[in-house]
Amino acid sequence: MGLATTELRRRPGRFAVATVVLTFFSLLLLLLGGLLDGLFLGSTGAIRAQDADVIVYSSTARDSFLRSRLGSDVRAEVEAVPGVADVGGLGFTLLGATVPGENELADVAVAGYELPPTGVPEPPPAGHAWADRRLEDAGVSIGDTLLVGPSATPIVVDGWVEDTNYLQQGALWTTLDTWRTVQNANRPDAFVPDGVVQVLVVRGDGDLAASIDAATGSTSTLSVDDAVYALPGVASQQSTFNAIIFATLAVVLAVVALFFSLLTLERTGLYGVLKAIGASTARLFGGVVLQAVVVALVAFVAGGLLAWAADAALPGGIPLQLTVSRYVFTFVALIAAAVLGSAVSLRRVTRIDPASAIGSAA
Amino acid sequence: MYLALKEMRRARVRFGLLAGAVGLLVYLILFQQAISTGLIDQFIGALKNQSADVLVYNAQARRNLEGSIVLPEQSAAIAEVEGVAVAAPLGEGTFTVVAGDPDADEQDAVIFGYQLGGPGEPTTLTAGRLPERTGEAVASSRNAADGFDVGDTVTVVPNAGGTATSFTVVGLAEEINYSVAPTLFTDFVGYDAARRAVNPDATDVLPSVVAVHVAEGADPAEVAEAITAAVDGTEALTRQQAVDESPGVSAVRQSFSVILLLFYLVAPLVTGLFFLIVTFQKAGALTLLRAIGAPAGLLVRSLVVQVAAVVVSGAAVAVGLFWLTTRTVIGSISVPFDLGAIGFTVGLVLVLALVTSLAAIRRVLRIEPIAATTGAGVHL
Repeated sequence: MGLATTELRRRPGRFAVATVVLTFFSLLLLLLGGLLDGLFLGSTGAIRAQDADVIVYSSTARDSFLRSRLGSDVRAEVEAVPGVADVGGLGFTLLGATVPGENELADVAVAGYELPPTGVPEPPPAGHAWADRRLEDAGVSIGDTLLVGPSATPIVVDGWVEDTNYLQQGALWTTLDTWRTVQNANRPDAFVPDGVVQVLVVRGDGDLAASIDAATGSTSTLSVDDAVYALPGVASQQSTFNAIIFATLAVVLAVVALFFSLLTLERTGLYGVLKAIGASTARLFGGVVLQAVVVALVAFVAGGLLAWAADAALPGGIPLQLTVSRYVFTFVALIAAAVLGSAVSLRRVTRIDPASAIGSAA
Repeated sequence: MYLALKEMRRARVRFGLLAGAVGLLVYLILFQQAISTGLIDQFIGALKNQSADVLVYNAQARRNLEGSIVLPEQSAAIAEVEGVAVAAPLGEGTFTVVAGDPDADEQDAVIFGYQLGGPGEPTTLTAGRLPERTGEAVASSRNAADGFDVGDTVTVVPNAGGTATSFTVVGLAEEINYSVAPTLFTDFVGYDAARRAVNPDATDVLPSVVAVHVAEGADPAEVAEAITAAVDGTEALTRQQAVDESPGVSAVRQSFSVILLLFYLVAPLVTGLFFLIVTFQKAGALTLLRAIGAPAGLLVRSLVVQVAAVVVSGAAVAVGLFWLTTRTVIGSISVPFDLGAIGFTVGLVLVLALVTSLAAIRRVLRIEPIAATTGAGVHL
């Protein structure tokens, strides 16, 4: 190990090539993952935050919030299902909002609710809302009166909540009545009478989904996790980006294998001498793996800094969100690829014959 | 050449790994380019391939068709702006439908409602005809096999209290999808009926945008500016602006551009640096070759042949993988196998790989044959 680290310290130029290439890959993996996380978190926050066991849609809505409509009759049926403890209505309207003092409109999702999602206080007074902190970027401040939609329906911001956005729009959490006022003033084609909501969020015990759908005959009930993946595009984004990320990791593995097999080839004579004076194959191979890990570590740090700089420099329209878990995943994946890639050199190290290697080295 | 190819044959694992890595990188470039193009085309094809010169949104919608409604007084004012020849309603909405076989599963479909014969009709008809009366529709040709072929009936599934509304497909048009869903163009009356089927409480069905034909000789961009200036609370865009500035389109373009730029950098970088290391390792042998009379040009040509062979064989693997990918549908997006784009990508990667190999070529050219006579003292 000492030899491996000494070589790294004394001849860093030898590892510069692999480090530069892996830095690019590290940056690529972080940007790809950051885009995936940005798309996922920005679209699903309002649903992930639901403190509920299941979400009930009308069966004709194909699990779309915006197309679902449930009346008070269905709500009564759901409330009567054994195991159901709490039922609350929920509805969303996607609109633009005028922010005081700002020229640009803000994209908002007005969310009417009864059962507070995680991190959201009890519903505010009529005409008021808790705003997702993302709206701060659009110039929104506490106390502002936003004019929402073509009809300029006023909503006063009472405070901030975190990570509750819906389909990349900043959420405004308000009462169901205020949501209906906004919806009916701005979307007369999607008018919601009193008592009608888009979906019901339900807390309770047992097999709620099956029980509710059987009892009503007109609903489609999903767990909160399933509701997240039923949002438009979420499942496709996850599968497509993950495929690209894992294919990129396969390339990282091939590149590490390539560079360390070249380095091992270059050091065949040296390894022969070391074997002749008693160094074991395991020790030599351990040195190769250690060097690969150090190279991956340096590349990860450099790539991470570049990704952080890119996040600051890229236009706000790009939904890039770098999370700690993404950094951890990328770090672990790079180290694993480095270890596996360097393992390709094991065969060559094992096959080195001290006698012939010394001969050729001489 | 002989030496170059023989060396590659003898070091199959080394060159195979490089070709495999380049192949995967080229595949990822092709895949992401196609996904980006397919995503954008299938997101806003309906806007791109309709006949209106100008689309007028509610300014509050931020160019989002789904979030826009144009109020009656705005529609009336738009028609009065100089340069506007025809102004007609264009509605858009996503619905749950049963298409083709009445027993088929429900699916999503986007319905556009326009004034028959007016602005907003599809322009890429490939089969059948345009609708001539309420109840007829043109469907996206991509979804013909999903129950949207000519002669099929598409029924909007009503909500409680609503009445089912059906459309007969009388024509197919290319690239008119919206939001990656099957798409129908029908008359505004039919669209109104579909809206009321899913929401019997609707008090009014307003157009999402107003579609405008500009007067002969008028510039659509100027007319759009005039409308935005004259009609409060509206934002008028030319057809191309509506496409380019659709929410998500520029973000998708920018996001993929950054990622693709990095991939385009990494692929040749890996190739160039690999050959630099190999050239460094072969310095002794190359010096000897120069000393026994091999001209520098021959060694450079051998290097170039190896670079080209690695990129071309990697590209062959990439194109094969990509062809397999285009046979499938990724999340509802079909990925086109565009030979022009493939040729451009492979050509560009090859050129960039040769450029990054210049460092290795430079080292080859700096070899001094006389160094072979000094034993181990080969300096490159």
